[in-house]
Amino acid sequence: MLGSIDIVGLLVLLLFLGLLLGFAAVGRNWPTVFRPVPGFEELGTAIECAVEAGERVHLSLGTGSVIGSDSAPALAGLAMLSRVASVTTMSDKPVVVTAGDGAMTMLAQETLRSAYQQAKVGERYRRTSGRMLGPTPLSYVASLPILIASEDVSVHILAGSFGAEGALAADFGERQHAFVIAGTDDAQSQALLYVTAEYPMIGEEIFAGGAYLNVGPLHRASLRAQDAVRMLIVVLILTGTVLRALGVIL
Amino acid sequence: MWAAAAVGSGIFVLLGYFIDYEVILTLRLILMRWSVLLAAVALFLGLFNLLTVHWSKVSEQEKGWPFSALLILAFLVTLIMGLVFGPDNQISLLLFNYIQLPVEAGLMALLAVFLAVAGFRLVSRRRDPFSLIFVVVALFVLLGTGPTLGASDGDGYVLLRQLRNWIAQVWASGGARGILLGVALGAGLTGLRVLLAVDRPYGD
Repeated sequence: MLGSIDIVGLLVLLLFLGLLLGFAAVGRNWPTVFRPVPGFEELGTAIECAVEAGERVHLSLGTGSVIGSDSAPALAGLAMLSRVASVTTMSDKPVVVTAGDGAMTMLAQETLRSAYQQAKVGERYRRTSGRMLGPTPLSYVASLPILIASEDVSVHILAGSFGAEGALAADFGERQHAFVIAGTDDAQSQALLYVTAEYPMIGEEIFAGGAYLNVGPLHRASLRAQDAVRMLIVVLILTGTVLRALGVIL
Repeated sequence: MWAAAAVGSGIFVLLGYFIDYEVILTLRLILMRWSVLLAAVALFLGLFNLLTVHWSKVSEQEKGWPFSALLILAFLVTLIMGLVFGPDNQISLLLFNYIQLPVEAGLMALLAVFLAVAGFRLVSRRRDPFSLIFVVVALFVLLGTGPTLGASDGDGYVLLRQLRNWIAQVWASGGARGILLGVALGAGLTGLRVLLAVDRPYGD
């Protein structure tokens, strides 16, 4: 039996979908202009240097689970991984990706496998390049220093869900003098990462990683859709504030 | 095929949040239960992956292999204890309360030291107005939150507490709401990309 329908929710969903597909359609004739984000600008060079020097790139997907509400930043991290993996496939030490959740590890392994197959070097893929370090946040972080040191990690990317342990994860990279870029979805953890990481990703910058790393046109379109909806929200908030100040609405 | 299955499942679960229709709600519940079961199986596979990686490190005597050997030993001892005696047994609880808990608490306590050092490093490395504002605000909030050495009802301390509350409740709350709005938008569009099979972390 058909019950109630959340019209507003469906309309918002359709708005997102329409903007995403619309911006994707006009993307070729209307190129995306990116705001400078130092971390993403330096990341390409840092990865190239790591590949040249025979050092490792490490991408951490954090300690969140796939089925939890904290999966979104790790999914954004997986989008970045597909690009990073394709760049490092021919390196002696290709990218290593770690997670604190079994299902997330499997998604990372599949993303790596796809990237290797697309680069036509599927035989170089090793399943152990995607690893689960520990099932709890602190056991995951406790394993990081050994991984960073033993794998000669020189680029340390943190793109996933982190709590306070994210600060430790970033600091371990800094102590090994690695290039550290870190982002998460939690506002308090972002404040900790701002202090400990060389290049923190603030706010929603973690979700823009795919667009900045040129993963595909729909990533750029989603960034534009995000900006458009944000502007809409800003206009609505300002209009509401003015109307309330004038006493039009209570 | 994987993409079609993932997109179909995703659409049904998403629609279940918006449309109160019995078939969709039942299907959503079944899919969510399956996902919980699959996540539990994935945890086992993840632990197997953990063992495989460390076993290969030990067998090839790679750098840091003694740590890997220790991890395998601790893993097997904990697993056997749990399987033989059960998770609520005295020995299993002893392992948890006297080894895992203190180690994790110790690591968390280190965070305060790490952050203090990182704060000094931030000022010396990133010399821009934002870093300076960040450190100054952090100091104010720290002084306004912690216990005072002098009189806690003195004018200076009351002013500091008021300043701390003003920063935390007006500026920090406003900024955090802005960040959360941006994060929510980014998370929504990331989910939509997975739903449209633009991002395929489950494979092609």
